[in-house]
Amino acid sequence: MATDDASTPSSAGDIEHIKINASNLSKVGFRPSFWTYLKQVWEFRHFIIFDSRSRIAGDAAKDSLGQTWLVLNPILNGAAYFLVFGIMLGTGRGIENFVAYLIIGVFMYRFTVSAIVAGSKAISGNRSLVTAFNFPRMTLPIAINVRELMRQMIAFVTMIGLIAIIPPLEPISWKWLMFIPIVAIQFLFNLGLSLVLARIVTVWNDFSHIITFGTRIWMYLSAIFYGVERFEDLPIVLTFMYANPLFCILDMTRDVLLYDAWPDPMRWLVLGSWTVGLLVAGSIIFWQGEETYGREER
Amino acid sequence: MTTVEKPFSQGQPVVVIDEASQVYTVGTASVQTEDRTLWQRMRGATGVSVQHVEALKPLSLVVRTGEAVGVIGTNGSGKSTLMKMLTGHLPPSSGTIYATSTPIMLGVNAALVKTISGHDNITLGCLAMGMTRDEVENKRPSVIEISGLSESALRLPLKAYSSGMSSRLQFAIATSMDPEILIIDEALNTGDAQFRDRTKARIDELRAQAGCVFLVSHSLNTIRSMTNRCIWIEQGQLVMDGEPEVVTKTYWRYTKFMAQKKYKAGAQLLAATKEALIEQKIAWQMN
Repeated sequence: MATDDASTPSSAGDIEHIKINASNLSKVGFRPSFWTYLKQVWEFRHFIIFDSRSRIAGDAAKDSLGQTWLVLNPILNGAAYFLVFGIMLGTGRGIENFVAYLIIGVFMYRFTVSAIVAGSKAISGNRSLVTAFNFPRMTLPIAINVRELMRQMIAFVTMIGLIAIIPPLEPISWKWLMFIPIVAIQFLFNLGLSLVLARIVTVWNDFSHIITFGTRIWMYLSAIFYGVERFEDLPIVLTFMYANPLFCILDMTRDVLLYDAWPDPMRWLVLGSWTVGLLVAGSIIFWQGEETYGREER
Repeated sequence: MTTVEKPFSQGQPVVVIDEASQVYTVGTASVQTEDRTLWQRMRGATGVSVQHVEALKPLSLVVRTGEAVGVIGTNGSGKSTLMKMLTGHLPPSSGTIYATSTPIMLGVNAALVKTISGHDNITLGCLAMGMTRDEVENKRPSVIEISGLSESALRLPLKAYSSGMSSRLQFAIATSMDPEILIIDEALNTGDAQFRDRTKARIDELRAQAGCVFLVSHSLNTIRSMTNRCIWIEQGQLVMDGEPEVVTKTYWRYTKFMAQKKYKAGAQLLAATKEALIEQKIAWQMN
């Protein structure tokens, strides 16, 4: 107490030495160790689930068509690409069932892009929550990715429905079940990338502009509306294409849903390595910035 | 210079601020019209220049269990900076802040999630503090009671709330965990008289549970009625630390001088008050 015996007015420049025992005090604003941090994130799983569920309801309330846009958006995009690339430029020539090929490309691309764009804003878009409470911040990008996964469910159902009804009809086989692990890996891949991007955006907000540009370029480079066969004479391009995780996702999905084939093990390997690498690097990079996220932008 | 050695005071230290200071580096987007050299123009082309502002000079303070500390000072004196440093949202430029647990801060501007209902905000806020779903449901009635909001209001999304309603809800949520260290930044000024009484009762409860409360307010009446210790921060420095009655009275005289443009008298009062302050130094003891 400052008001007890020692604070009787006395000559200037007095110094009062207060003896403090440091036993139950800890520094404010320092991040826990990595493993403790991951454990804390796990303890906040109820928060993650509730946050993602409540946001879906809140977001849908803004537009009068609500969740319908999740389906309309890729369909409209797909129609536009079909017009430009399929009919005007003819990039689809030689591709078996081009419409379904395009639909898979557009829908699967959208899942990754909407997840990482939203995920990159996990901290910058939730300032009020971050400054109000002290929860492990990694829960926010995770919640956003869970939310995007839940939101895309309708889109995936639409996609499969379209493939099933648009001629030429593809045989429905047990291989279609392989779509589930593909989406699961895609979810983890998105999460890993979101964690990296979210940290970069908090350090340097301008990066969100680059993300918008980057996702656009990535779309053109991922064989969404053309086939890779056109690069058969260019092995370098093919190598880059095969190393592109988004291409792997599209190719694997097309194999199981369209071509009644098992995905190339090479694709699993490439996509799996990207996913594990990004998840590990992403969690470490995100954790390293933990104590900085509540700070105000100046 | 004399050195006063003081034995342990009553109460365990809850917050220890050890020589913490804050220097802001601010990017200013400026549109200057006066003559500049070509080089300055080119450098200024991004519209951003960098300045350093010393918001808080090194400050030491020990707050113990059961204390409700009022924090006063004119605008820009550094009070809010100090509070942000306490929550860990702003790391000190030098020095360190220790606490028994991470302080929880309540501010008027920190709305929760605007698009979801009051009920959902209670759930989200409580979960964000680490409760389980069952604990949230157990706490819900008391949160609703403290917030004083009606069932129909709680079903509305937060964007339909007045600022008073949302700060009441936020206060209720943030105190539902019985935080050991609570920082209240101007939140009470938006509430009505009934809510103010409820807040006072809640603050007393928290203090009784061996916690401490910081209350930043421009209302000297609020400080006098709700706190048992008061610190005055001016120009980034601790000026006075003591009984709320005494500190608020001196502060009131200072603001009066400044309002009447008697800057010299104000500066003299400030200097004299600062002279009388016994500077605190932390002497760490090892177990």
